[in-house]
Amino acid sequence: MRIVVCIKQVPSTNKVQLHPETNTIIRDGRQSVTNPFDTYAIEEAVRVKEAVGGEVIALSMGIPETERLLRDAESRGVDRAVLLSDRNFAGADTLATSYTLSLGIRELFPVDLILCGKMAVDGDTAQIGPELAEQLGIPHVTDVSEIDSITETAIECKKETDHGYQHLKVKLPALLTVIKDINMPRMPSIKGVLDSQTAPFERKDAEKLDADFQRIGLTGSPTQVVKTFIPERMSEAVEIVGEAEEQAKKARNIINEVLKDGGVEY
Amino acid sequence: MSQSLIRPMTEEYEEFLRDESRTSGKAESISFPNGENDIKKIVDELRREAVPITLQGARTGLAAGAVPSQGHIMNMSRMDRVTGMRKDQQNQFYIRVQPGVILSQLRKKIELKSFEHKGWSQECQKAYADFCDAPEQFFSPDPTEASATLGGMVACNASGARSYRYGSIRPYVTSLRVVLTGGEVLEIRRGEIKAKGRDLTLVTEQRDSLKISLPRYQMPDTKNASGYYVEDNMDAIDLFIGSDGTLGIISEIEIRLLKMPSVVWGVTCFFQQEQAVLDYVAEIRRSLTEIASMEYFDGDALEILRQQKKKGHTFAQLPDIDEKMQAAAYLELHVGTEEEALDHLEKIEAIMDKTGGDAQHTWVARVDVDRDRLLFFRHAIPESVNMLIDERKKQFPGITKLGTDMAVPDKHLHRIVSTYRASLKRQGLQSAVWGHIGDNHLHVNLLPRNEKEYETGKKIYAEWAKEVTALGGAVSAEHGVGKLKAHFLQVMYGEQAIEEMRELKKQFDPDGMLGQGNLFAFQSKGGGNS
Ligand SMILES: Cc1cc2nc3c(=O)[nH]c(=O)nc-3n(C[C@H](O)[C@H](O)[C@H](O)COP(=O)(O)OP(=O)(O)OC[C@H]3O[C@@H](n4cnc5c(N)ncnc54)[C@H](O)[C@@H]3O)c2cc1C
Ligand SMILES: Cc1cc2nc3c(=O)[nH]c(=O)nc-3n(C[C@H](O)[C@H](O)[C@H](O)COP(=O)(O)OP(=O)(O)OC[C@H]3O[C@@H](n4cnc5c(N)ncnc54)[C@H](O)[C@@H]3O)c2cc1C
Repeated sequence: MRIVVCIKQVPSTNKVQLHPETNTIIRDGRQSVTNPFDTYAIEEAVRVKEAVGGEVIALSMGIPETERLLRDAESRGVDRAVLLSDRNFAGADTLATSYTLSLGIRELFPVDLILCGKMAVDGDTAQIGPELAEQLGIPHVTDVSEIDSITETAIECKKETDHGYQHLKVKLPALLTVIKDINMPRMPSIKGVLDSQTAPFERKDAEKLDADFQRIGLTGSPTQVVKTFIPERMSEAVEIVGEAEEQAKKARNIINEVLKDGGVEY
Repeated sequence: MSQSLIRPMTEEYEEFLRDESRTSGKAESISFPNGENDIKKIVDELRREAVPITLQGARTGLAAGAVPSQGHIMNMSRMDRVTGMRKDQQNQFYIRVQPGVILSQLRKKIELKSFEHKGWSQECQKAYADFCDAPEQFFSPDPTEASATLGGMVACNASGARSYRYGSIRPYVTSLRVVLTGGEVLEIRRGEIKAKGRDLTLVTEQRDSLKISLPRYQMPDTKNASGYYVEDNMDAIDLFIGSDGTLGIISEIEIRLLKMPSVVWGVTCFFQQEQAVLDYVAEIRRSLTEIASMEYFDGDALEILRQQKKKGHTFAQLPDIDEKMQAAAYLELHVGTEEEALDHLEKIEAIMDKTGGDAQHTWVARVDVDRDRLLFFRHAIPESVNMLIDERKKQFPGITKLGTDMAVPDKHLHRIVSTYRASLKRQGLQSAVWGHIGDNHLHVNLLPRNEKEYETGKKIYAEWAKEVTALGGAVSAEHGVGKLKAHFLQVMYGEQAIEEMRELKKQFDPDGMLGQGNLFAFQSKGGGNS
């Protein structure tokens, strides 16, 4: 069985700290990391391989530095890695990203199973998995928390929904996006880390993929960012400390404030 | 006004009678000062009746130092502000904190470079701006319990895994403000006041001059948190670090940061025999220099963890440990480049091979998520043991865990471990051993199943204290002596030295108000003999 796992490089933290003098974002100098959900996809892919045999290929579209993360996946049981990297891929929205990834996957055909994370913690759209499946014309299941069984031709899995869960059976090849409940990722061993340094790794650019330049990068991205903003927080928690009387006074002030803002007369 | 600062002990303050040693005490009143002025007011009030004062940080201490025997509890948890920052000419950064600042919160602030800096002086603001532009910094002391306060850590001379390379908190404390029971305040900066031989002169902010004669005993040449730090020509600040809440009330602390090494990797290696780990550690110590910490977990500790993992949800995130593995060692590499780190991994692999390990059975943590899991693993072991003992206590309320905290010089590691194993085997006691093996500092935890075993445990603990002393070691290497280990301090230094410690204390706290029962018994004015 050939399994492809898609991984994305994301910043190590999404907390933004402003410089006290310049008011610009402080670059924390920390290395970016594998999207947390993708670490579960990697583990699941390796577990499937260990159960039924075959190989796991890690795939990412990203800057050259992403090689470090792909090799990290190799230290955890992934057999080989492919990085799609080209200046022309820059500025891609989810449509262009999924198109590019689909080209990378077509080059690896025949592929039986594709695993993605539920979503990336920076882009947050959770669109890549389903879009990629559509680009490839295969079925997909999102938010998978368990793989029940897998054969040469079909996979049964458990999908979490807002109101419970579903057990689904789909034909292979198929794409799944996974959530964190699915497993507990392993730690790489010394041997794994050392071997990953020389494990098979390929870098491919747009030309190599024979990409349609109208469909990649900024050019291939119909989405337009009109405005970005931080949504206003609708609820707030405050801690009330001090002597009982002091606390009571503060609580009263807060209640008054709320009543006033809400326009409630009393 | 001090009346409202000092509150009578009521049921709502019950928890403040205990610490993590799981022993419990008594007190008549409690306070939560907000600043140094509050401390002074409280002390002035209590001095009239010479009321005993027990100081508290986060009460994570394991030696009952923060457990009151009577009188007043002064809890520092409300003094939790970071008050400033400084940069020196070598571009080193220093942070000033109140004693109630919690280590984990301080670490987060340093990591995110996020400080509440409103109200800081201009100079501090400038240093903070530079700090934001500087490479990542860290505070090296890392006791396993990150909810400890900085004040408690200074009072106990706390250490952690990384102390193997960087030492205890001591060298990172660059300035202290200390309120004495007479109401005077000392401000001591490292490097400014030195003893002449064993004579020390201190001048308080109130211009009183204190002429102190220091005890004459020699400290062991190991990691040490047993009794007062004294040596010829010592820096005055060192006297208060590790003083276990008995000399003065620490009201402000300045700490020094270090530049974070570019590459920090954690490596846990599993072995089938304890002996193999001892050989492995000795070999690593000989041949690798860039190791920041070296920790040990024995088979019993691993087994307790496996059992907890089966039971509970909180421990589910721990990686599985192969059933055959009977011991583990954790190393942390601090190096400049990934190439160096890989080179170290190759050497570790070779040393494992040579000492009977297998590099397949290892965990390498190169990213934060994995490192956090290893930290969780390390913290989960003492936690699991505490849960086990709490369960047994329901049937035998008289028992507690008996955890040792002793260190010996390098050459005696193999010997002290065989001593521990021989006594444990002879007495048939259940135990779990873990700790800072790089410093030959293992916590042997005796886990009594009933009161009889508890008594036996206390006996062998005392035998070990004698043995460790004979090998030139320390009876408390990091937790402090507190109340529970006071008798071992006597074993370690002898009565003469204890008498000199009492004399020293008298010079700062003549009425014996502070930390009654910590380190040694003291005839005090307010509350009789402790
Ligand atoms: C309007 C808009 C404009 C954008 N403009 C830019 C831009 O100018 N420059 C820029 O860099 N980004 C830009 N992005 C972000 C970029 O489009 C997305 O980050 C990317 O398409 C993936 O989407 P996501 O992060 O929401 O991933 P999700 O759909 O949330 O990710 C789900 C899963 O898909 C897989 N996956 C996602 N991305 C990759 C990848 N690159 N390689 C392999 N697997 C992957 C992973 O398994 C991941 O867990 C833009 C996004 C939007 C919405
Ligand atoms: C699971 C676990 C793991 C631990 N691991 C480690 C470890 O690896 N290394 C280590 O060193 N310790 C360890 N400890 C012990 C403990 O965390 C440390 O001793 C810590 O320094 C205590 O800090 P605290 O704030 O909890 O102090 P407390 O327990 O509240 O007090 C400790 C002592 O300090 C005195 N004190 C507190 N504040 C002041 C002040 N402002 N002025 C003067 N005296 C004061 C108290 O009177 C008392 O004597 C561990 C504890 C636990 C529960």
